[in-house]
Amino acid sequence: MALWKEIGNRLGYLLRRSRFDREFEDEMRFHIQARADELEQAGLAGADALRQARREFGSTLRSGEETRSAWQMRWLEDLSSDLRYAARALRRNPAMALAAVGSLALGIGANTTMFSVAREALFSEPSCRDAQSLVEISTRGNRWVTVAQYRFFRDAHVFDGVAGENHELPVNWRNGNRSYYLAGTHVSDNFFQVVGVPVAMGRPIERGETDAAVVTYGFWRNRLNGDPNVLGRKLELDSKPYTIVGVLPRDHRMLVGFGFTPDLYLTKDPAGFMLYGRLPQGLTRQAAYARLRPICRDLDRVYPEANRKWTEEVQLSGVGGMDRLREMGGPMVIPALAFFGMLVIVTAIVVLIACANISSLLLARALTRSREIAIRMSLGGSRGRLVRQLLAESLLLAVLGTGAGLLLNLWLTRALSGFRIPTPLPIELIVQPDRLLLAYSCVVAFVVTLATGLVPALRATRAGIGGALKEGGRQTGPAGSRLRSALVIGQLAVSIVLLSAGLLFIRNLISATSFNAGFDSAHTIAAAVQGQSDPEKFVDTALARLRALPGIEAASPAIALPLNPFLAFNRPNEQLRPDAGSRTVRVEYNGNSVGPDYFRIMAIPILQGRAFLDADRAGAPGVVILNQNMARRLFGDTNPVGHVLRFPGDRDATVVGIARNSTYATLGEKDAMALYTPFAQLATRRGACLFVRTTGPPEAMARKVDETIAELDAKASVRTKVMREVFNYALLPSRAGAAVLGGMALFGLMLASIGLYGVLLYATQQRIHEIGIRVALGAAPGDVLALVAGQSLELVGTGMAIGLAIAAVAVRPLSMFLVPDVRPTDPLNFVAVACVLALVAGLATVAPTARALRVDPAVALRHE
Amino acid sequence: MEANSAPELLPGTLYLLILRTLSRGPLHGYAIVKRIKEASREGLQVEDGSLYPALNRMLVKGWLAAEWGVSENNRKARFYRLTPEGRKQLDQEAGEFDRLVRAIQLVMRTA
Repeated sequence: MALWKEIGNRLGYLLRRSRFDREFEDEMRFHIQARADELEQAGLAGADALRQARREFGSTLRSGEETRSAWQMRWLEDLSSDLRYAARALRRNPAMALAAVGSLALGIGANTTMFSVAREALFSEPSCRDAQSLVEISTRGNRWVTVAQYRFFRDAHVFDGVAGENHELPVNWRNGNRSYYLAGTHVSDNFFQVVGVPVAMGRPIERGETDAAVVTYGFWRNRLNGDPNVLGRKLELDSKPYTIVGVLPRDHRMLVGFGFTPDLYLTKDPAGFMLYGRLPQGLTRQAAYARLRPICRDLDRVYPEANRKWTEEVQLSGVGGMDRLREMGGPMVIPALAFFGMLVIVTAIVVLIACANISSLLLARALTRSREIAIRMSLGGSRGRLVRQLLAESLLLAVLGTGAGLLLNLWLTRALSGFRIPTPLPIELIVQPDRLLLAYSCVVAFVVTLATGLVPALRATRAGIGGALKEGGRQTGPAGSRLRSALVIGQLAVSIVLLSAGLLFIRNLISATSFNAGFDSAHTIAAAVQGQSDPEKFVDTALARLRALPGIEAASPAIALPLNPFLAFNRPNEQLRPDAGSRTVRVEYNGNSVGPDYFRIMAIPILQGRAFLDADRAGAPGVVILNQNMARRLFGDTNPVGHVLRFPGDRDATVVGIARNSTYATLGEKDAMALYTPFAQLATRRGACLFVRTTGPPEAMARKVDETIAELDAKASVRTKVMREVFNYALLPSRAGAAVLGGMALFGLMLASIGLYGVLLYATQQRIHEIGIRVALGAAPGDVLALVAGQSLELVGTGMAIGLAIAAVAVRPLSMFLVPDVRPTDPLNFVAVACVLALVAGLATVAPTARALRVDPAVALRHE
Repeated sequence: MEANSAPELLPGTLYLLILRTLSRGPLHGYAIVKRIKEASREGLQVEDGSLYPALNRMLVKGWLAAEWGVSENNRKARFYRLTPEGRKQLDQEAGEFDRLVRAIQLVMRTA
């Protein structure tokens, strides 16, 4: 307490130092005058009295100095004078300062942004009251609980409330004469109370309400036009009226995390819930777990389930941080962590390269200043003080660089925050700078300062006094040059690693873009329909209307869209029996039910047999079409057309055709199997996707198609998309990876080449005298060229060798993000990287070499 | 030369003297020296040169506050007054000093 106050007082002094000095003088004058007055009263003459008073007071200078020192903080004043000195040095060479600060800022900006995004995507705290006492109740590997079981838990009273939530259900919103697809989150009526979700406007949903909805900020802004009188407004959701009771704050984060952002929360009992329980005050997770045991036994007795034993498998897990990551992510955790980890590491490496540049630069300056430093040391300057002064320069650079980097981060994160990733449950990251980020960047600045400043400072002050003074100008010494060379070699090596990774991702993007998806996306439009009043009739009517439109070549229904998570393929994993025999084959395949024109629309050729016909309708004999992979798997090399396939439940279907392999779930999949059945033979039809093939560009037709389908049924929501757009979505990870890694790799390469250039130029300048002698003694320009280029070759060669060796190992794990065509170990990749580096290094060598060739022996020797 | 006849101050007692002198009301620097001199019947003489550094150290610690005012003979002067912390410090130091003096006297008389 007292200490803080004291520091505050001292800081206050720093701000009004000149006033302090003035006031102190006034005070001295008063003191002496007062004494003189007294002496005068005692009988002394005016002038004598003043002289006497002055003598008694003693030295005002010393007194003033001592008084001032009572206020001063020595180190702070030293620091500020060091910083001023450093700022002058930077101002004297603005290009260098700008380059150093700029490269640091770019590196740190990219690095902190990656950090923010990764933290937000993986570890953000959900919007709820006291996350510590909120737990998710589930069994291992199964998070979905039926509503009946939810009620069982709720009424068991182990917790201060148990709430259910289901965020995977779409909702149809009827607005005017058409319906829209919304990402709805269904919750139990007590959800908002138990979880304690903060609401920005209105109130949360309350217990006992069955028709209340709370909308998110984005939905309120964009779909309800930010209506200030929105509370109490009715929404028709899935044909039932709901009342909007509240609007969530802008930074609302769902319990499930990962930036998922629904349109609204509504009370509704879905087929399954995820359960959240509020631990009573003071009850630990372990204690709650123990109390749950008897309830779990009852559950198992009342609701026996084949694949779930509550008694054995029940678990309580936290709703934030690592716990949620483990629970939510499942198999996705490792790739997600690895992806973000990679981006953070790559950007951190760029920061390191930038640091190496600055370090090398400071080293060069310290060496040129070694004479001054030696003189100061010989005059008794302490080494610590000199090191501190040299560190101040790197501190200034680091603080400026980090500050600029943080500004860049603010801008980048704002740009990223508005970006809505159109997954089925839309992802919208609210990336905000926070205290953790600030701490992180302070650490970065600190590390940068030490990394860039300490070595040059120690090096500069270590050189013996005698040695440095002996010879002016050229006393750089082999040690300093060796260190700078090592830094450049390190930079080059790291750039090779970055370049290798960047090139892989760029090749991945090229490969993914030009990847033959196995179907034609250039002329197709897909419309996903949901919530039709009469699903049976709807598809037939819609197809008839669509076919009647001008510019539409063909139309077909299907239940899945390739490469689209909105309407993914079924992925059954079944025991099938070819030829209805005794041999069973277990296959996991992509299942789709399609109309007769589907293969024509998607330009997927039928290689053998036939496509579906109108005759393959409900009631007609079951037929299927296999893709090549599936056919080979089930029937080997024999032609499967005409053979029978028996499904579980002894359902038989005849194979009528073989479709060419194409892609289904992801671009990167390998040897995927697919099985098509006629749409008309589906047992139940609910949602459907309507595909049309246009004669002209599909973009022009999309609106017409959308309207045609939407006007058939005001209750059905229709989402119409041009297939190319869907494709773009599938490319998003490749694009992001290529952009970030490619950009970082180029940036790293640029920095490394600047470093190389600096070292070579500096070395040449230091050797001008030597070169002059050589030329005077008859060295040909070729010899001089060999001198500089040889040094460059040595540095680049060593850096390249080390870099390639590291890269060969380091890029291997990247294969998990790449399409199969792009192999991380492809030698061609490394050759290309080496060529790029050699080219850039060659360019960086040109100027120093030219400088060496211009050396005029007469001038160089007179220089002495 | 008169000042030399006064005994040297015990180390650390200058703060105590200043605090005690100011406990009766704000004074300027010269008045503090004079008050101490008078109160000690010329027994103690605070060096002018050490007064101001001490006053300023006490300002830094927050025991004193200073304001500009007008002196008895109409000159601009800087007045020092005790802050609540200063009063607390005075109580504490006075107590300690008493104990110390008593202890020293005990030793001087009995040992």
